[in-house]
Amino acid sequence: MGIPAAFRWLSTKYPKIVSAVAEDLPLEMPDGTMIPVDTTQPNPNGEEFDNLYLDMNGIVHPCSHPEDRPAPKDEEEMMVEIFKYTDRVVNMVRPRKLLMIAVDGVAPRAKMNQQRSRRFRAAREAQEKEEDKQELLKILRKEKGSTQKEEPIEEVVQKVFDSNSITPGTPFMDILAASLRYWCSYKLNTDPAWANMKVIISDATVPGEGEHKIMNFVRSQRGSPDHNPNTRHVIYGLDADLIMLGLVTHEPHFRVLREDVFAQDSKPRLCKLCGQKGHDERNCRGEAKEKEGEFGEKEKALPLKPFIWLHVSILREYLAIELNIPGLPFKFDLERAIDDWVFMCSFVGNDFLPHLPALEIRENGIDTLTAIWKDNLPHMGGYVTKDGHVDLDRAQYILSGLAKQEDAIFRRRKETEDRREAGFKRRKLQQEQRDQQRDQRNGRGGHGGQDNNRSRYRNPENIPHAGPPPGLQLYSLTPKPVKSLLTHDMVVNRQAIDQANVANKSVASVLKSQIQGLMAQSEAAPVVPATPDSKGEVIQEETSPASALGKRKASIMEEESASTPGANSSDAETPKTPVAEEGQEDTVKLWEEGYADRYYEQKFHVDRNDIEFRHKVARAYVEGLAWVLEYYSQGCPSWEWFYPYHYAPFAADFVDIGKMSISFEKGRIARPYEQLMSVLPAASRHSIPEVYHDLMTNEKSEIIDFYPEEFDIDLNGKKMAWQGVALLPFINMPRLLAAMEIKNELLSPEDKVRNGLGKDVLILSDSHANLYDEITTHFYSKKQGAPFFTLDPKTSDGLTGKVEKIEGYHPHGSLVYPLSRNAMPDVEYDRSLSVHYEYPKSAHDHKSMLLRGVKMPTPALDRSDVEILKSKGQNSGRSYGGVPLSGGRGRGGGGYN
Amino acid sequence: MTATFPIQPAARFAGQSEPVKRPKEFACFSYDKDHQYHPGDSSLKWYYPPTLGTDLSNGFEKFIKHDDSADEHLDSLLKTIETHEKKTNKQIDAHIVTWRGILTKIMAAPFEDRDGFEMNATFYRNSIFIEENHKCKEASRREQDNQTWKSPIPQEVMQFWGYKFETLSTLPATWGETSRDYIEKRDNEIVNNKEQYCSVVRTGLGKSIICLGGEVDAIWDSKPKVQGAPVNWVELKTSAEIRSDRDMDNFERKLMKFWIQSFLLGVPKIIVGFRSRDGILVKLQEMETNSIPTTVQRRGRAGWDGNTCINFASAFLEWLREVMTDEGVFRVRRKPRSSHIEVFQVEEV
Ligand SMILES: [Mg+2]
Repeated sequence: MGIPAAFRWLSTKYPKIVSAVAEDLPLEMPDGTMIPVDTTQPNPNGEEFDNLYLDMNGIVHPCSHPEDRPAPKDEEEMMVEIFKYTDRVVNMVRPRKLLMIAVDGVAPRAKMNQQRSRRFRAAREAQEKEEDKQELLKILRKEKGSTQKEEPIEEVVQKVFDSNSITPGTPFMDILAASLRYWCSYKLNTDPAWANMKVIISDATVPGEGEHKIMNFVRSQRGSPDHNPNTRHVIYGLDADLIMLGLVTHEPHFRVLREDVFAQDSKPRLCKLCGQKGHDERNCRGEAKEKEGEFGEKEKALPLKPFIWLHVSILREYLAIELNIPGLPFKFDLERAIDDWVFMCSFVGNDFLPHLPALEIRENGIDTLTAIWKDNLPHMGGYVTKDGHVDLDRAQYILSGLAKQEDAIFRRRKETEDRREAGFKRRKLQQEQRDQQRDQRNGRGGHGGQDNNRSRYRNPENIPHAGPPPGLQLYSLTPKPVKSLLTHDMVVNRQAIDQANVANKSVASVLKSQIQGLMAQSEAAPVVPATPDSKGEVIQEETSPASALGKRKASIMEEESASTPGANSSDAETPKTPVAEEGQEDTVKLWEEGYADRYYEQKFHVDRNDIEFRHKVARAYVEGLAWVLEYYSQGCPSWEWFYPYHYAPFAADFVDIGKMSISFEKGRIARPYEQLMSVLPAASRHSIPEVYHDLMTNEKSEIIDFYPEEFDIDLNGKKMAWQGVALLPFINMPRLLAAMEIKNELLSPEDKVRNGLGKDVLILSDSHANLYDEITTHFYSKKQGAPFFTLDPKTSDGLTGKVEKIEGYHPHGSLVYPLSRNAMPDVEYDRSLSVHYEYPKSAHDHKSMLLRGVKMPTPALDRSDVEILKSKGQNSGRSYGGVPLSGGRGRGGGGYN
Repeated sequence: MTATFPIQPAARFAGQSEPVKRPKEFACFSYDKDHQYHPGDSSLKWYYPPTLGTDLSNGFEKFIKHDDSADEHLDSLLKTIETHEKKTNKQIDAHIVTWRGILTKIMAAPFEDRDGFEMNATFYRNSIFIEENHKCKEASRREQDNQTWKSPIPQEVMQFWGYKFETLSTLPATWGETSRDYIEKRDNEIVNNKEQYCSVVRTGLGKSIICLGGEVDAIWDSKPKVQGAPVNWVELKTSAEIRSDRDMDNFERKLMKFWIQSFLLGVPKIIVGFRSRDGILVKLQEMETNSIPTTVQRRGRAGWDGNTCINFASAFLEWLREVMTDEGVFRVRRKPRSSHIEVFQVEEV
């Protein structure tokens, strides 16, 4: 749920939900010409799809600052990359009815807090990165001495694209919107596979997170009696919770599409300085990018990363088995059970709340909750949730069930950690002994062994002038995993993490990890092979963007590692046993009695006897859980609500929550600049109109306290900085708005436009003849109709909603490429039609039900899958003791042996 | 003078069917919960599947049953046609105007001879208006009621099952506009068969243009914007669950009436709720109306043929139009087990 580990957990537990995407690729003829794929042909996946939804930020991020290729040199190149990538995804899916492209618009306040934290961290990391880079340059110059000219290196140092401009309200988002509209119109004019497709573009001017705008759309269509219940939906995106969102649409024919990772292995190493291939930064001559020739050709040959499907329908099959409880006193309803399950998954992690301390996805927190749920459902009298609303009395059962196990969970966690650490040390020692023996045998040291390299390079003075040829193991940040040891889903999840880092975290943090990698390489840090631990724990650490090692600058490396407690060997430098940042010590010690007192004292700074405060935090948290569930299943319940603490309460703090009554007010949707001012640090102010800069930088600004340059990151018991909590002050909206108010009038007209509220756009081709005619006749014939035209689902092939004329737009005009270098052509006679689109709003809640006429997909699970799941299910989630709260009736006490 | 139209041998009507005009709705009306007439579709229902396992006898004691002992003639149908004619300023062009049920009896005649029928046909304004002979219908019903009922379950209860199934399977608005509560508590709804939605269509069999009125149980999606475009109506039926070949034979015989009824109004889908012998809903089956005749034919045990029905009705109506050239009232009668239909002029109106 917003956390990459969820993908790994899901695909490990439910292996059949993942499958490979079959993709036809363009043919390259001997003369170099390309024959494009004819996507009017049947889909090579053996099944056709109706609707494709693109959570577009998942495309924009990797295309504008890719991790496996040189970055596009400017926005136009980025747009072309986006076109290419989108085209590939569309060709893969070949949607026959509808393509929806949704870019993140302004987010609910609850989300902005997370964005703020990410962007502030990103800015801080970017600054550190810059320092790192400067330092590296210094080293390189020194070592290369007179043989290298200094100037060119700096000249070609990659200009880092500021990913913070991928936020509503920036000029970049304007360019993106115009480009997407152009490209879709262009495709509608030229690609026969698009002839009957309707395209909806929801750009950044339309409020809401991309995937949630998509979900709102899907729900709105479901509410229409003309919606085909067997519509085949595909959503492309990187967020782990897309599969959860897919589940709660209760559309069974739903898939998530995302990139797979095999290409990772063939990812070429790029020079960290100039971003080009073929050399590393130590050999960077700072030459301008080679246009064609050797490397350009290699680029073409670079295999495309394959894609995978995540089948919601198969997950539904698994859940039907996993969640089924025989002999319930009420009717088992899979749709309701699924909602409850998704709700419980949100306890384990979501973008809007810190997760409960007792629940870790990697510790199978979801299983723990599921077991509680299964044992208590017969006594609760019904499901915990109903159509996106929580029954708080029943939620209390779940939380109390968790509270019963909480102490045991913390103790077990500590034991496991200790054991792991001891095991690691033991292996480490054994390895060292082996190395020693071998070195003695060989009679020499340092022929490429990692430790030797490290010691050789630790001191910058020792970096050899001529680096070893590229490709040696020495240079890979992480060792190439032994393929046979990797299961498919491990690979998948590796990617999940990588991608999520790119898309969700900030790009700066990815860049940072790259530069850290670079630093790590120049220090030739030992890297732990990717298999030592059971339960696939490896991946998490392996891909953590901020390894303890990377955090440090070369010059301070030595002393810090020496001062790390309990680490007189090289432990402190391995990503495997990272040290707490700045030597942060965990003084809460969840595994020792009295932890709750210490937690509230240290984290919340309240008296240990103030129990009411704990309940207050818990109530706010319950509100948050309710908010999240409603957000997932009904749409944003409140744009202003947010959880006002940096930390979660303990399960034990949820007391009498059944007495609460929760209701949300829709609230005010932020304007783009308000969001920018809420989430960006002063260092990223170039993405905000200048009139506001003063508010962020001037010491006398009445809101200067919102923009601290320094802030603490509390590791909160975690090992990695990126897992920690950024202790930023929460934005006080009234104060922010008041401060901005004064400046608003100073905005230029263009800037004012960018701060406005936009509408979704529907684009279709005139080959969708009936629909095209209906709309054009209504809006553009002599006797024009009402300002809104209600689509007839019979002509629109099932699409319901209203359309509205776009002011100043006329059909049959010319389609003009919106960017300067004309990477793509104008179309003289535009056969596409653009109108504003509004999906139907319902006065009713969206019901978690199947629709009449739905035909379930052919089951994918066979007998043995079912048996395996059932046998696992008997004990899963029950490691910490019994859970049924009222043991008297039904299945009590030891009923699950 | 009595004119006679021989039904048998029905084989002469087999083969390629006469041209059939797709029924197009041109008007509709509703009866509300008190059986009050309203133009329009206020009583239209939407199909949403019922919960299996429900007891179809639930709520029998609260059943609000329409008393059909009064002769309703063609009143509502004529009222609706009249309104339509006023609106369009044009007289309808139908040769035959009647309820769907009447034409069903005629169409089924080649394969169904047990009950017989008596109808009144009036030639007026170039159209023949056919309605049930109410007195005769009442008489035959009384006779039926007097027959000994063999099932342990009272006849009224079994009749109720069908209406109950409709209540369990429909919503007064689209799924999207209906609350979960209503959907889940349909078992508690009071069954009321006074409420109806009736579709009025123009259709054609062979050379006869026909205007038909008939009740439609539910709609699958929504009415098309364009009048006359096909509508995804749903016909709801209950039937005893099939546990043997004999059950299957019986069911397939029943399918003839299901098919004719739906065929005549252009109802494309029939949803059958199979019930246990004691009235528990156990299974749902969706059937495409159009594929019923061939499906039944393939099994070859049902002993009815769709084309024969169509061609017979087509020939009979053409013949009737030749017979009824004078204005006035005619009796159209088939005695039980008779091999022909008699038509003769009567005095009473
Ligand atoms: Mg998103």
